[in-house]
Amino acid sequence: MKIIAIIPAFNEESRIAAAVRDASSFVDGVVVVDDCSRDNTANAARMAGALVLRHAINRGQGAALQTATEFALRRLGAEIVVHFDADGQMQGSDIPAMVEPIRSGAADVVLGSRFLGKAVDMPASRRIVNRLAQWFTVAISGIRLTDTHCGFRALSRRAAQEMTITLDRMAHASQIQDLVVVKKLRYVERPVTIVYSAETLAKSESSMRAFGIVKDILKDKFFTRV
Amino acid sequence: MIFQIILVAFALFAVTRTVKQFRAQKVSLHWFLLWNGLWAVVIGVTLWPTSADFVAHLVGIGRGADLALYVTAVALSYSVFRLFVRQEETQREITKLVRKMAIADAEEPK
Ligand SMILES: Nc1nc2c(ncn2[C@@H]2O[C@H](COP(=O)(O)OP(=O)(O)OP(=O)(O)O)[C@@H](O)[C@H]2O)c(=O)[nH]1
Ligand SMILES: [Mg+2]
Repeated sequence: MKIIAIIPAFNEESRIAAAVRDASSFVDGVVVVDDCSRDNTANAARMAGALVLRHAINRGQGAALQTATEFALRRLGAEIVVHFDADGQMQGSDIPAMVEPIRSGAADVVLGSRFLGKAVDMPASRRIVNRLAQWFTVAISGIRLTDTHCGFRALSRRAAQEMTITLDRMAHASQIQDLVVVKKLRYVERPVTIVYSAETLAKSESSMRAFGIVKDILKDKFFTRV
Repeated sequence: MIFQIILVAFALFAVTRTVKQFRAQKVSLHWFLLWNGLWAVVIGVTLWPTSADFVAHLVGIGRGADLALYVTAVALSYSVFRLFVRQEETQREITKLVRKMAIADAEEPK
């Protein structure tokens, strides 16, 4: 089966090449969406062998995933789409186990879980936020997962076609869980290893982003045309 | 007193604007009458505040001034709601456009 890894990237010049190479050895193609980075992310990704799409304006991680998904499905004929991060926190070597349930036909969606696997050097504050997010997810989607907002996923072609991400920023992770339930897709969780380093912790704006996610979800529920 | 003067001045400003628009044949007679009629009511209620009490009583509110306040609050809330919806839609349209461009400009897969 043709496996395409898709990597949203924003200012990841120094990390993207390693991530692309790491994923490449386990998939048939890597698509990077450079989300209007201010550094040389696009070139670094291209040099490492990725197909690079570029957003002319920064639209967020969710938007980039949707762009890459449409490209992978329509232009590359992807049969399995793997969501992967640009910052080196995920391990390419986890990919075979992630796609296995789709290969065997056991599931349409495979969700990575760092709590079934390993969360190396994950700060306690993030663990707490993730626990709260878990309850929030049960409340709004009715799906009980060991790890919410883990960006490591594998989707069958059908699942990728059925789930359209419209939440452009970080809340897309909640929307994906929502859609799994709404579209009645068969899902399983699989252990993955996520490694935290001083570098990756420094770049993201801390646990405060949880508020932004909740805001985006509520906005989506209240302020969109039915 | 000052507040009443400001409100009446504002209403008169709106009326003169409409008169100008009407003279320049930019609005219909229908709109001219309707719009100025509305501002005439505003002026009337501003100068004789108790005149609106009658309408307020009809809907179970004590004073005309309160009625005006409530109606304003509801109207503003609704406008904000509409604005949010529009804004969200605009955001999504921008994303779709950016996506379309990104895919159209993509290098050909080997
Ligand atoms: N396209 C796009 N990708 C982004 C944006 N922000 C972050 N990303 C990418 O999304 C992936 C995950 O981003 P992180 O900021 O590491 O978020 P995270 O891994 O969920 O959270 P951490 O636990 O803080 O590492 C990385 O590949 C980033 O480059 C953005 O605005 N646009
Ligand atoms: Mg990260």
